[in-house]
Amino acid sequence: MQLFFNGLIAGSLAALIAGGLALVYGTLGVFNLALGQMVLVGGYATWWLYQSVGLPLPLSIVGGLAIGVVTSWVAFEIFIRPFYKRHRFLPLVTTISLSMILDALILLLFEERPKSILSGTQNMRTLYGASISTEQILLILMTFLLLLLFAYVLHGTAFGRRLRAVTQNDTAAMSLGIRAFALHRLIFIGSGILAACAGIFIGIDQNLAPLLAFPLTIKAYAAVIAGGKGNFWGAVLCAYCIAFLEQIVVGVHWFNRFYVPVGYQATVALTFIIVFLLFKPAGIFGSASRTA
Amino acid sequence: MNYFLHIFIIFCMYIPPALGFNLVFGKGKLLHFGQVALGIAGVYGMWAPFMLFGVPFFVSLAIGAVCVLLMALILAWLSFRLDTDGLGVMSIALHLAMLAIVLNSDSLTRGALGIPGIPRPHVLQSLPAYALLCAMIAAGWIIFILFLERGTFGRALQALAENPWHAEGLGVSRRRVHTIAFMVSALGALITNILFAPYIALLSPSDYGFPAMILYVMMVVAGGPGRVWGVVLSTFCLIFLHEGLRFLSLPAEMIGPMRLLTFGIILLVAVCLRRDTLFPAERTV
Repeated sequence: MQLFFNGLIAGSLAALIAGGLALVYGTLGVFNLALGQMVLVGGYATWWLYQSVGLPLPLSIVGGLAIGVVTSWVAFEIFIRPFYKRHRFLPLVTTISLSMILDALILLLFEERPKSILSGTQNMRTLYGASISTEQILLILMTFLLLLLFAYVLHGTAFGRRLRAVTQNDTAAMSLGIRAFALHRLIFIGSGILAACAGIFIGIDQNLAPLLAFPLTIKAYAAVIAGGKGNFWGAVLCAYCIAFLEQIVVGVHWFNRFYVPVGYQATVALTFIIVFLLFKPAGIFGSASRTA
Repeated sequence: MNYFLHIFIIFCMYIPPALGFNLVFGKGKLLHFGQVALGIAGVYGMWAPFMLFGVPFFVSLAIGAVCVLLMALILAWLSFRLDTDGLGVMSIALHLAMLAIVLNSDSLTRGALGIPGIPRPHVLQSLPAYALLCAMIAAGWIIFILFLERGTFGRALQALAENPWHAEGLGVSRRRVHTIAFMVSALGALITNILFAPYIALLSPSDYGFPAMILYVMMVVAGGPGRVWGVVLSTFCLIFLHEGLRFLSLPAEMIGPMRLLTFGIILLVAVCLRRDTLFPAERTV
Protein backbone atom coordinates (compact mmCIF):
# COMPACT_ATOMS: atom_id res chain seq x y z
CA MET A 1 0.00 0.00 0.00
CA GLN A 2 2.89 2.33 0.81
CA LEU A 3 4.29 1.71 -2.68
CA PHE A 4 0.89 2.54 -4.18
CA PHE A 5 0.68 5.87 -2.33
CA ASN A 6 4.29 6.73 -3.14
CA GLY A 7 3.56 6.03 -6.81
CA LEU A 8 0.41 8.15 -6.63
CA ILE A 9 2.33 11.11 -5.16
CA ALA A 10 5.20 10.89 -7.66
CA GLY A 11 2.75 10.21 -10.51
CA SER A 12 0.62 13.24 -9.64
CA LEU A 13 3.67 15.50 -9.91
CA ALA A 14 4.79 13.92 -13.16
CA ALA A 15 1.26 14.02 -14.61
CA LEU A 16 1.00 17.77 -14.05
CA ILE A 17 4.26 18.40 -15.91
CA ALA A 18 3.68 15.82 -18.66
CA GLY A 19 0.07 16.91 -19.28
CA GLY A 20 1.11 20.50 -20.00
CA LEU A 21 3.95 19.29 -22.13
CA ALA A 22 1.68 17.03 -24.19
CA LEU A 23 -0.65 19.96 -24.90
CA VAL A 24 2.25 22.14 -26.04
CA TYR A 25 3.65 19.38 -28.21
CA GLY A 26 0.23 18.58 -29.69
CA THR A 27 -0.53 22.16 -30.70
CA LEU A 28 2.87 23.76 -31.34
CA GLY A 29 4.95 20.68 -32.14
CA VAL A 30 7.53 22.10 -29.72
CA PHE A 31 9.67 20.15 -27.27
CA ASN A 32 10.48 22.51 -24.41
CA LEU A 33 13.70 21.28 -22.80
CA ALA A 34 13.58 24.07 -20.20
CA LEU A 35 10.41 22.72 -18.62
CA GLY A 36 12.22 21.39 -15.52
CA GLN A 37 13.70 24.85 -14.93
CA MET A 38 10.24 26.41 -15.36
CA VAL A 39 9.00 23.99 -12.68
CA LEU A 40 11.75 25.18 -10.36
CA VAL A 41 11.05 28.88 -11.07
CA GLY A 42 7.50 28.47 -9.68
CA GLY A 43 8.79 26.62 -6.62
CA TYR A 44 11.68 28.97 -5.86
CA ALA A 45 9.51 32.08 -6.40
CA THR A 46 6.99 30.75 -3.86
CA TRP A 47 9.82 29.91 -1.43
CA TRP A 48 11.22 33.43 -1.80
CA LEU A 49 7.85 35.13 -1.28
CA TYR A 50 7.03 32.95 1.75
CA GLN A 51 10.38 32.59 3.47
CA SER A 52 12.24 35.81 2.53
CA VAL A 53 9.52 38.40 1.85
CA GLY A 54 7.26 36.97 4.58
CA LEU A 55 3.94 36.90 2.70
CA PRO A 56 1.22 34.46 3.86
CA LEU A 57 1.39 31.04 2.17
CA PRO A 58 -1.73 31.42 -0.09
CA LEU A 59 -0.50 34.80 -1.33
CA SER A 60 3.00 33.36 -1.90
CA ILE A 61 1.51 30.53 -3.97
CA VAL A 62 -0.45 33.02 -6.09
CA GLY A 63 2.73 35.08 -6.47
CA GLY A 64 4.72 31.96 -7.44
CA LEU A 65 2.12 31.11 -10.08
CA ALA A 66 2.18 34.70 -11.37
CA ILE A 67 5.98 34.61 -11.71
CA GLY A 68 5.59 31.24 -13.49
CA VAL A 69 3.13 32.86 -15.94
CA VAL A 70 5.46 35.79 -16.64
CA THR A 71 8.45 33.45 -17.12
CA SER A 72 6.60 31.20 -19.57
CA TRP A 73 5.22 34.22 -21.47
CA VAL A 74 8.68 35.79 -21.83
CA ALA A 75 10.11 32.37 -22.74
CA PHE A 76 7.48 31.99 -25.47
CA GLU A 77 8.11 35.43 -26.96
CA ILE A 78 11.92 35.17 -27.01
CA PHE A 79 12.74 31.46 -27.31
CA ILE A 80 9.76 29.91 -29.12
CA ARG A 81 7.78 32.36 -31.26
CA PRO A 82 10.61 33.48 -33.60
CA PHE A 83 11.57 29.86 -34.32
CA TYR A 84 8.74 27.34 -34.09
CA LYS A 85 7.11 28.16 -37.44
CA ARG A 86 10.48 28.14 -39.19
CA HIS A 87 11.37 24.60 -38.18
CA ARG A 88 9.91 22.60 -35.32
CA PHE A 89 13.32 21.39 -34.13
CA LEU A 90 14.77 24.89 -33.68
CA PRO A 91 12.95 25.45 -30.35
CA LEU A 92 14.51 22.23 -29.08
CA VAL A 93 17.90 23.97 -29.30
CA THR A 94 16.69 27.41 -28.16
CA THR A 95 15.03 25.90 -25.10
CA ILE A 96 18.37 24.28 -24.21
CA SER A 97 19.78 27.82 -24.07
CA LEU A 98 16.76 28.89 -21.99
CA SER A 99 17.42 26.02 -19.59
CA MET A 100 21.05 27.15 -19.21
CA ILE A 101 20.04 30.76 -18.54
CA LEU A 102 17.35 29.78 -15.99
CA ASP A 103 19.75 27.31 -14.33
CA ALA A 104 22.34 30.08 -14.02
CA LEU A 105 19.83 32.55 -12.58
CA ILE A 106 18.52 29.97 -10.07
CA LEU A 107 22.09 29.18 -8.97
CA LEU A 108 23.00 32.88 -8.68
CA LEU A 109 19.83 33.86 -6.79
CA PHE A 110 19.14 30.79 -4.63
CA GLU A 111 22.45 28.84 -4.54
CA GLU A 112 22.80 25.07 -4.67
CA ARG A 113 21.51 24.23 -1.17
CA PRO A 114 18.09 22.50 -1.09
CA LYS A 115 15.19 24.74 -0.09
CA SER A 116 11.84 23.76 1.37
CA ILE A 117 8.82 26.07 1.33
CA LEU A 118 7.44 24.71 4.63
CA SER A 119 10.36 24.51 7.02
CA GLY A 120 8.60 22.57 9.83
CA THR A 121 7.97 18.80 10.02
CA GLN A 122 5.05 17.43 8.06
CA ASN A 123 1.84 16.21 9.70
CA MET A 124 1.93 12.44 8.98
CA ARG A 125 -1.11 10.14 9.21
CA THR A 126 -1.82 6.47 8.52
CA LEU A 127 -4.13 5.59 5.64
CA TYR A 128 -4.87 1.91 4.82
CA GLY A 129 -1.65 0.97 6.60
CA ALA A 130 0.48 3.46 4.64
CA SER A 131 2.13 6.57 6.02
CA ILE A 132 1.18 9.78 4.18
CA SER A 133 1.26 13.50 5.03
CA THR A 134 -1.65 15.95 4.77
CA GLU A 135 0.28 17.91 2.15
CA GLN A 136 0.69 14.78 0.04
CA ILE A 137 -3.04 13.99 0.21
CA LEU A 138 -3.72 17.58 -0.87
CA LEU A 139 -1.21 17.19 -3.73
CA ILE A 140 -2.97 14.06 -5.01
CA LEU A 141 -6.44 15.64 -4.72
CA MET A 142 -5.36 18.93 -6.32
CA THR A 143 -3.82 17.08 -9.26
CA PHE A 144 -7.04 15.13 -9.80
CA LEU A 145 -9.02 18.37 -9.59
CA LEU A 146 -6.73 20.13 -12.07
CA LEU A 147 -6.90 17.18 -14.47
CA LEU A 148 -10.71 17.10 -14.17
CA LEU A 149 -10.81 20.84 -14.86
CA PHE A 150 -8.61 20.31 -17.90
CA ALA A 151 -10.84 17.46 -19.08
CA TYR A 152 -13.90 19.72 -18.77
CA VAL A 153 -12.24 22.63 -20.59
CA LEU A 154 -10.86 20.35 -23.31
CA HIS A 155 -13.98 18.33 -23.99
CA GLY A 156 -16.92 20.37 -22.66
CA THR A 157 -16.36 23.99 -23.73
CA ALA A 158 -16.19 25.98 -26.98
CA PHE A 159 -12.63 26.99 -26.02
CA GLY A 160 -11.69 23.30 -25.74
CA ARG A 161 -13.15 22.62 -29.19
CA ARG A 162 -11.05 25.44 -30.63
CA LEU A 163 -8.04 24.03 -28.84
CA ARG A 164 -8.59 20.56 -30.27
CA ALA A 165 -9.18 22.02 -33.73
CA VAL A 166 -5.84 23.83 -33.58
CA THR A 167 -4.18 20.62 -32.33
CA GLN A 168 -5.53 18.63 -35.27
CA ASN A 169 -4.84 21.19 -38.03
CA ASP A 170 -3.98 24.78 -37.21
CA THR A 171 -4.16 25.99 -40.85
CA ALA A 172 -7.70 24.64 -41.26
CA ALA A 173 -8.63 26.03 -37.84
CA MET A 174 -7.35 29.50 -38.87
CA SER A 175 -9.40 29.36 -42.07
CA LEU A 176 -12.47 28.90 -39.81
CA GLY A 177 -11.63 32.09 -37.91
CA ILE A 178 -9.82 30.58 -34.92
CA ARG A 179 -6.87 32.70 -33.78
CA ALA A 180 -4.38 29.83 -33.72
CA PHE A 181 -1.32 31.96 -32.83
CA ALA A 182 -3.03 33.47 -29.80
CA LEU A 183 -4.04 29.97 -28.70
CA HIS A 184 -0.44 28.77 -29.12
CA ARG A 185 0.72 31.47 -26.71
CA LEU A 186 -2.09 30.66 -24.28
CA ILE A 187 -1.32 26.94 -24.32
CA PHE A 188 2.38 27.56 -23.69
CA ILE A 189 1.53 29.79 -20.74
CA GLY A 190 -0.97 27.14 -19.55
CA SER A 191 1.79 24.53 -19.54
CA GLY A 192 3.93 27.04 -17.61
CA ILE A 193 1.18 27.33 -14.98
CA LEU A 194 1.00 23.53 -14.60
CA ALA A 195 4.81 23.46 -14.34
CA ALA A 196 4.76 26.19 -11.66
CA CYS A 197 2.07 24.19 -9.74
CA ALA A 198 4.38 21.16 -9.87
CA GLY A 199 7.29 23.28 -8.60
CA ILE A 200 5.20 24.54 -5.67
CA PHE A 201 4.19 20.96 -4.86
CA ILE A 202 7.85 19.89 -4.89
CA GLY A 203 8.75 22.81 -2.63
CA ILE A 204 6.01 21.93 -0.15
CA ASP A 205 6.41 18.13 -0.17
CA GLN A 206 10.19 17.77 -0.67
CA ASN A 207 13.13 20.10 -1.29
CA LEU A 208 13.84 22.36 -4.25
CA ALA A 209 17.31 21.91 -5.76
CA PRO A 210 18.72 23.10 -9.12
CA LEU A 211 19.80 19.54 -10.01
CA LEU A 212 16.18 18.38 -10.07
CA ALA A 213 15.35 20.25 -13.28
CA PHE A 214 16.77 18.03 -15.96
CA PRO A 215 15.56 14.62 -14.71
CA LEU A 216 12.08 16.17 -14.31
CA THR A 217 12.10 17.28 -17.95
CA ILE A 218 13.33 13.96 -19.29
CA LYS A 219 10.84 11.90 -17.27
CA ALA A 220 8.00 14.12 -18.50
CA TYR A 221 9.20 13.69 -22.09
CA ALA A 222 9.47 9.94 -21.67
CA ALA A 223 5.80 9.98 -20.58
CA VAL A 224 4.79 12.17 -23.54
CA ILE A 225 6.61 9.97 -26.07
CA ALA A 226 5.47 6.68 -24.51
CA GLY A 227 1.88 7.97 -24.35
CA GLY A 228 1.81 8.81 -28.05
CA LYS A 229 3.13 12.28 -28.76
CA GLY A 230 0.59 15.08 -28.27
CA ASN A 231 -1.93 12.78 -26.59
CA PHE A 232 -2.82 14.56 -23.33
CA TRP A 233 -4.42 11.57 -21.60
CA GLY A 234 -1.75 9.17 -22.90
CA ALA A 235 0.95 11.38 -21.35
CA VAL A 236 -0.90 11.61 -18.02
CA LEU A 237 -1.41 7.83 -17.90
CA CYS A 238 2.24 7.13 -18.77
CA ALA A 239 3.44 9.64 -16.14
CA TYR A 240 1.58 7.62 -13.52
CA CYS A 241 2.90 4.34 -15.02
CA ILE A 242 6.54 5.56 -14.90
CA ALA A 243 6.08 6.73 -11.29
CA PHE A 244 4.60 3.38 -10.23
CA LEU A 245 7.37 1.55 -12.11
CA GLU A 246 10.02 3.58 -10.25
CA GLN A 247 8.43 2.77 -6.90
CA ILE A 248 8.04 -0.94 -7.69
CA VAL A 249 11.64 -1.25 -8.90
CA VAL A 250 13.14 -0.04 -5.63
CA GLY A 251 10.37 -1.09 -3.26
CA VAL A 252 10.03 -4.79 -4.07
CA HIS A 253 12.26 -7.43 -2.48
CA TRP A 254 13.15 -9.15 -5.77
CA PHE A 255 13.08 -12.98 -5.64
CA ASN A 256 13.37 -12.60 -1.84
CA ARG A 257 17.08 -11.95 -2.43
CA PHE A 258 17.86 -8.30 -3.12
CA TYR A 259 16.56 -4.74 -3.34
CA VAL A 260 17.47 -2.54 -6.31
CA PRO A 261 19.44 0.48 -4.93
CA VAL A 262 17.50 3.77 -4.95
CA GLY A 263 20.14 5.32 -7.23
CA TYR A 264 18.92 3.11 -10.08
CA GLN A 265 15.27 4.16 -9.68
CA ALA A 266 15.12 6.61 -12.59
CA THR A 267 17.58 4.60 -14.71
CA VAL A 268 15.44 1.46 -14.69
CA ALA A 269 12.30 3.41 -15.61
CA LEU A 270 14.05 5.31 -18.44
CA THR A 271 15.68 2.15 -19.76
CA PHE A 272 12.30 0.42 -19.73
CA ILE A 273 10.79 3.29 -21.76
CA ILE A 274 13.71 3.21 -24.25
CA VAL A 275 13.29 -0.56 -24.76
CA PHE A 276 9.50 -0.18 -25.00
CA LEU A 277 9.88 2.53 -27.67
CA LEU A 278 12.29 0.38 -29.66
CA PHE A 279 9.45 -2.12 -30.11
CA LYS A 280 6.54 0.36 -30.24
CA PRO A 281 8.00 3.66 -31.47
CA ALA A 282 4.64 5.46 -31.72
CA GLY A 283 3.93 4.93 -28.01
CA ILE A 284 0.82 3.40 -26.43
CA PHE A 285 -1.81 5.63 -28.04
CA GLY A 286 0.08 6.96 -31.07
CA SER A 287 -0.28 5.76 -34.62
CA ALA A 288 2.78 4.65 -36.56
CA SER A 289 4.13 6.95 -39.29
CA ARG A 290 6.02 5.85 -42.37
CA THR A 291 9.73 6.54 -42.58
CA ALA A 292 12.25 6.03 -45.35
CA MET B 1 52.96 29.70 -21.89
CA ASN B 2 51.93 26.47 -20.18
CA TYR B 3 48.39 27.79 -19.87
CA PHE B 4 48.12 28.42 -23.62
CA LEU B 5 49.58 24.99 -24.26
CA HIS B 6 46.92 23.55 -21.93
CA ILE B 7 44.14 25.33 -23.87
CA PHE B 8 45.65 24.08 -27.14
CA ILE B 9 45.69 20.48 -25.84
CA ILE B 10 42.07 20.69 -24.68
CA PHE B 11 41.09 22.22 -28.05
CA CYS B 12 42.81 19.39 -29.94
CA MET B 13 41.13 16.80 -27.73
CA TYR B 14 37.70 18.24 -28.47
CA ILE B 15 38.22 18.09 -32.24
CA PRO B 16 37.47 14.35 -32.82
CA PRO B 17 34.16 14.18 -30.89
CA ALA B 18 33.06 17.64 -32.06
CA LEU B 19 33.61 16.76 -35.72
CA GLY B 20 32.06 13.32 -35.17
CA PHE B 21 29.00 14.96 -33.64
CA ASN B 22 28.97 17.48 -36.49
CA LEU B 23 28.86 14.59 -38.96
CA VAL B 24 25.72 13.11 -37.36
CA PHE B 25 23.95 16.24 -36.10
CA GLY B 26 25.21 18.93 -38.47
CA LYS B 27 25.58 17.07 -41.75
CA GLY B 28 23.16 14.17 -41.21
CA LYS B 29 20.53 16.32 -39.40
CA LEU B 30 19.99 13.52 -36.90
CA LEU B 31 18.86 15.25 -33.76
CA HIS B 32 20.70 13.18 -31.20
CA PHE B 33 22.23 14.31 -27.91
CA GLY B 34 24.06 11.08 -27.12
CA GLN B 35 27.65 12.14 -27.90
CA VAL B 36 28.63 12.22 -24.22
CA ALA B 37 26.87 8.88 -23.61
CA LEU B 38 29.27 7.48 -26.25
CA GLY B 39 32.14 9.04 -24.32
CA ILE B 40 30.99 7.50 -21.02
CA ALA B 41 30.73 4.04 -22.59
CA GLY B 42 34.22 4.35 -24.10
CA VAL B 43 36.04 5.92 -21.18
CA TYR B 44 34.66 3.64 -18.46
CA GLY B 45 34.80 0.59 -20.76
CA MET B 46 38.51 1.24 -21.19
CA TRP B 47 39.90 2.78 -17.98
CA ALA B 48 37.84 0.89 -15.38
CA PRO B 49 39.19 -2.57 -16.40
CA PHE B 50 42.73 -1.17 -16.73
CA MET B 51 42.86 0.76 -13.45
CA LEU B 52 40.56 -1.23 -11.17
CA PHE B 53 40.91 -4.83 -12.35
CA GLY B 54 44.46 -4.94 -13.71
CA VAL B 55 43.46 -5.87 -17.26
CA PRO B 56 46.33 -5.27 -19.77
CA PHE B 57 46.20 -1.91 -21.61
CA PHE B 58 45.46 -3.20 -25.09
CA VAL B 59 42.74 -5.59 -23.84
CA SER B 60 41.18 -2.63 -21.98
CA LEU B 61 41.40 -0.55 -25.13
CA ALA B 62 39.58 -3.30 -27.04
CA ILE B 63 36.88 -3.47 -24.33
CA GLY B 64 36.47 0.32 -24.52
CA ALA B 65 36.17 0.16 -28.31
CA VAL B 66 33.53 -2.58 -28.10
CA CYS B 67 31.54 -0.61 -25.48
CA VAL B 68 31.59 2.60 -27.51
CA LEU B 69 30.63 0.84 -30.73
CA LEU B 70 27.78 -0.98 -28.97
CA MET B 71 26.51 2.36 -27.69
CA ALA B 72 26.75 3.75 -31.25
CA LEU B 73 24.67 0.80 -32.50
CA ILE B 74 22.02 1.44 -29.81
CA LEU B 75 21.84 5.12 -30.85
CA ALA B 76 21.63 4.12 -34.52
CA TRP B 77 18.88 1.63 -33.71
CA LEU B 78 16.98 4.33 -31.80
CA SER B 79 17.35 6.64 -34.81
CA PHE B 80 15.78 4.02 -37.10
CA ARG B 81 12.87 3.32 -34.76
CA LEU B 82 12.01 6.79 -33.44
CA ASP B 83 11.24 9.97 -35.30
CA THR B 84 13.69 12.84 -34.98
CA ASP B 85 12.43 14.57 -31.85
CA GLY B 86 11.85 11.23 -30.11
CA LEU B 87 15.48 10.37 -30.84
CA GLY B 88 16.59 13.70 -29.38
CA VAL B 89 14.84 13.15 -26.08
CA MET B 90 15.54 9.44 -25.74
CA SER B 91 19.25 9.98 -26.47
CA ILE B 92 19.29 12.38 -23.50
CA ALA B 93 17.53 9.70 -21.46
CA LEU B 94 20.23 7.23 -22.50
CA HIS B 95 22.92 9.70 -21.40
CA LEU B 96 21.27 10.21 -18.00
CA ALA B 97 20.82 6.44 -17.58
CA MET B 98 24.52 5.83 -18.37
CA LEU B 99 25.58 8.53 -15.91
CA ALA B 100 23.34 7.08 -13.19
CA ILE B 101 24.84 3.62 -13.74
CA VAL B 102 28.36 5.03 -13.44
CA LEU B 103 27.50 7.01 -10.29
CA ASN B 104 25.80 4.08 -8.57
CA SER B 105 28.10 1.18 -9.50
CA ASP B 106 30.77 1.84 -6.89
CA SER B 107 32.37 -1.59 -7.18
CA LEU B 108 32.84 -1.22 -10.96
CA THR B 109 33.51 2.50 -11.41
CA ARG B 110 34.19 3.96 -7.92
CA GLY B 111 31.02 6.05 -8.39
CA ALA B 112 31.18 9.80 -7.83
CA LEU B 113 34.79 9.59 -6.60
CA GLY B 114 36.00 8.75 -10.09
CA ILE B 115 39.18 6.87 -10.92
CA PRO B 116 42.35 8.79 -9.90
CA GLY B 117 45.95 8.28 -10.91
CA ILE B 118 45.50 7.34 -14.57
CA PRO B 119 49.11 7.23 -15.84
CA ARG B 120 50.59 8.92 -18.89
CA PRO B 121 53.09 7.03 -21.06
CA HIS B 122 56.73 7.94 -20.25
CA VAL B 123 57.34 9.69 -23.57
CA LEU B 124 54.34 11.97 -23.00
CA GLN B 125 55.22 13.30 -19.54
CA SER B 126 56.01 16.84 -20.77
CA LEU B 127 53.31 19.27 -21.87
CA PRO B 128 54.84 20.03 -25.32
CA ALA B 129 55.05 16.30 -26.11
CA TYR B 130 51.41 15.82 -25.18
CA ALA B 131 50.44 18.90 -27.23
CA LEU B 132 52.32 17.53 -30.24
CA LEU B 133 50.56 14.17 -30.02
CA CYS B 134 47.13 15.80 -29.62
CA ALA B 135 47.82 18.17 -32.54
CA MET B 136 48.81 15.26 -34.79
CA ILE B 137 45.69 13.31 -33.86
CA ALA B 138 43.43 16.37 -34.37
CA ALA B 139 45.01 17.10 -37.78
CA GLY B 140 44.67 13.46 -38.82
CA TRP B 141 41.03 13.45 -37.72
CA ILE B 142 40.25 16.65 -39.67
CA ILE B 143 41.76 15.13 -42.82
CA PHE B 144 39.81 11.89 -42.25
CA ILE B 145 36.50 13.76 -41.81
CA LEU B 146 37.15 15.96 -44.87
CA PHE B 147 37.90 12.82 -46.86
CA LEU B 148 34.67 11.19 -45.64
CA GLU B 149 32.53 14.26 -46.28
CA ARG B 150 33.77 14.88 -49.79
CA GLY B 151 33.40 11.27 -50.83
CA THR B 152 30.41 9.08 -51.67
CA PHE B 153 29.58 8.68 -48.00
CA GLY B 154 29.30 12.44 -47.40
CA ARG B 155 27.05 12.92 -50.42
CA ALA B 156 24.84 10.01 -49.32
CA LEU B 157 24.57 11.45 -45.80
CA GLN B 158 23.66 14.87 -47.16
CA ALA B 159 21.10 13.39 -49.54
CA LEU B 160 19.47 11.52 -46.66
CA ALA B 161 19.40 14.70 -44.59
CA GLU B 162 17.71 16.64 -47.38
CA ASN B 163 15.14 14.05 -48.37
CA PRO B 164 15.32 10.47 -47.06
CA TRP B 165 12.63 9.21 -49.43
CA HIS B 166 14.36 10.51 -52.56
CA ALA B 167 17.74 9.27 -51.32
CA GLU B 168 16.39 5.77 -50.60
CA GLY B 169 14.72 5.84 -54.02
CA LEU B 170 18.14 6.45 -55.57
CA GLY B 171 19.59 3.43 -53.75
CA VAL B 172 21.18 5.11 -50.72
CA SER B 173 20.83 2.79 -47.73
CA ARG B 174 19.74 4.87 -44.74
CA ARG B 175 20.61 2.13 -42.29
CA ARG B 176 24.13 1.67 -43.62
CA VAL B 177 24.98 5.37 -43.94
CA HIS B 178 23.58 6.40 -40.57
CA THR B 179 25.17 3.44 -38.79
CA ILE B 180 28.57 4.42 -40.23
CA ALA B 181 27.99 8.05 -39.18
CA PHE B 182 27.29 6.98 -35.59
CA MET B 183 30.33 4.67 -35.66
CA VAL B 184 32.62 7.51 -36.80
CA SER B 185 31.18 9.72 -34.08
CA ALA B 186 31.83 6.94 -31.54
CA LEU B 187 35.41 6.57 -32.73
CA GLY B 188 35.94 10.31 -32.16
CA ALA B 189 34.60 9.96 -28.63
CA LEU B 190 36.91 7.01 -27.96
CA ILE B 191 40.03 8.82 -29.23
CA THR B 192 39.40 11.80 -26.96
CA ASN B 193 38.78 9.59 -23.95
CA ILE B 194 42.03 7.71 -24.47
CA LEU B 195 43.80 11.09 -24.32
CA PHE B 196 41.80 13.10 -21.77
CA ALA B 197 41.83 10.86 -18.67
CA PRO B 198 45.66 10.39 -18.62
CA TYR B 199 46.11 14.12 -19.31
CA ILE B 200 44.33 15.18 -16.12
CA ALA B 201 45.25 11.87 -14.37
CA LEU B 202 41.62 11.48 -13.27
CA LEU B 203 38.42 9.99 -14.65
CA SER B 204 35.58 11.91 -13.04
CA PRO B 205 31.86 11.44 -13.84
CA SER B 206 31.33 15.18 -13.32
CA ASP B 207 33.09 15.76 -16.66
CA TYR B 208 30.36 13.78 -18.43
CA GLY B 209 27.20 15.63 -17.37
CA PHE B 210 24.71 17.31 -19.71
CA PRO B 211 26.68 20.62 -19.78
CA ALA B 212 29.40 18.70 -21.67
CA MET B 213 26.79 17.71 -24.27
CA ILE B 214 25.58 21.30 -24.56
CA LEU B 215 29.14 22.36 -25.36
CA TYR B 216 29.16 19.99 -28.36
CA VAL B 217 25.79 21.35 -29.53
CA MET B 218 27.16 24.89 -29.28
CA MET B 219 30.29 23.97 -31.23
CA VAL B 220 28.21 22.68 -34.13
CA VAL B 221 25.54 25.39 -34.03
CA ALA B 222 28.04 28.26 -33.73
CA GLY B 223 30.44 26.82 -36.30
CA GLY B 224 27.74 26.13 -38.88
CA PRO B 225 26.12 22.68 -39.05
CA GLY B 226 28.02 20.41 -41.41
CA ARG B 227 30.96 22.82 -41.87
CA VAL B 228 34.22 21.20 -40.79
CA TRP B 229 36.37 24.35 -40.58
CA GLY B 230 33.55 26.33 -38.99
CA VAL B 231 33.24 23.74 -36.22
CA VAL B 232 37.03 23.69 -35.73
CA LEU B 233 37.01 27.50 -35.32
CA SER B 234 34.01 27.52 -32.98
CA THR B 235 35.61 24.72 -30.91
CA PHE B 236 38.72 26.86 -30.47
CA CYS B 237 36.72 29.98 -29.52
CA LEU B 238 34.44 28.14 -27.10
CA ILE B 239 37.27 26.26 -25.38
CA PHE B 240 39.19 29.53 -25.06
CA LEU B 241 36.12 31.20 -23.54
CA HIS B 242 35.32 28.19 -21.35
CA GLU B 243 38.80 28.12 -19.84
CA GLY B 244 39.27 31.91 -19.97
CA LEU B 245 36.29 32.58 -17.69
CA ARG B 246 38.44 31.26 -14.82
CA PHE B 247 40.44 34.50 -15.02
CA LEU B 248 37.53 36.79 -14.25
CA SER B 249 37.82 38.12 -10.72
CA LEU B 250 34.64 36.39 -9.52
CA PRO B 251 34.01 34.27 -6.41
CA ALA B 252 34.50 30.55 -7.15
CA GLU B 253 30.80 29.74 -6.69
CA MET B 254 29.83 32.30 -9.34
CA ILE B 255 32.07 30.98 -12.12
CA GLY B 256 29.80 27.98 -12.93
CA PRO B 257 26.56 30.00 -13.17
CA MET B 258 28.30 32.81 -15.13
CA ARG B 259 29.62 30.21 -17.58
CA LEU B 260 26.09 28.79 -17.98
CA LEU B 261 24.65 32.26 -18.50
CA THR B 262 27.29 33.28 -21.05
CA PHE B 263 27.03 30.03 -23.00
CA GLY B 264 23.23 30.09 -22.90
CA ILE B 265 23.20 33.55 -24.46
CA ILE B 266 25.85 32.54 -27.03
CA LEU B 267 23.76 29.48 -28.00
CA LEU B 268 20.63 31.61 -28.44
CA VAL B 269 22.48 34.18 -30.56
CA ALA B 270 24.09 31.39 -32.63
CA VAL B 271 20.69 29.78 -33.30
CA CYS B 272 19.27 33.21 -34.25
CA LEU B 273 22.06 33.67 -36.77
CA ARG B 274 21.91 30.07 -38.07
CA ARG B 275 18.16 29.53 -38.04
CA ASP B 276 18.02 29.12 -41.83
CA THR B 277 20.82 26.55 -42.02
CA LEU B 278 20.60 24.67 -38.73
CA PHE B 279 17.44 22.93 -39.83
CA PRO B 280 16.48 24.16 -43.30
CA ALA B 281 12.80 25.20 -43.52
CA GLU B 282 10.55 22.37 -44.65
CA ARG B 283 8.58 23.08 -47.81
CA THR B 284 4.85 23.18 -47.24
CA VAL B 285 1.85 23.72 -49.54
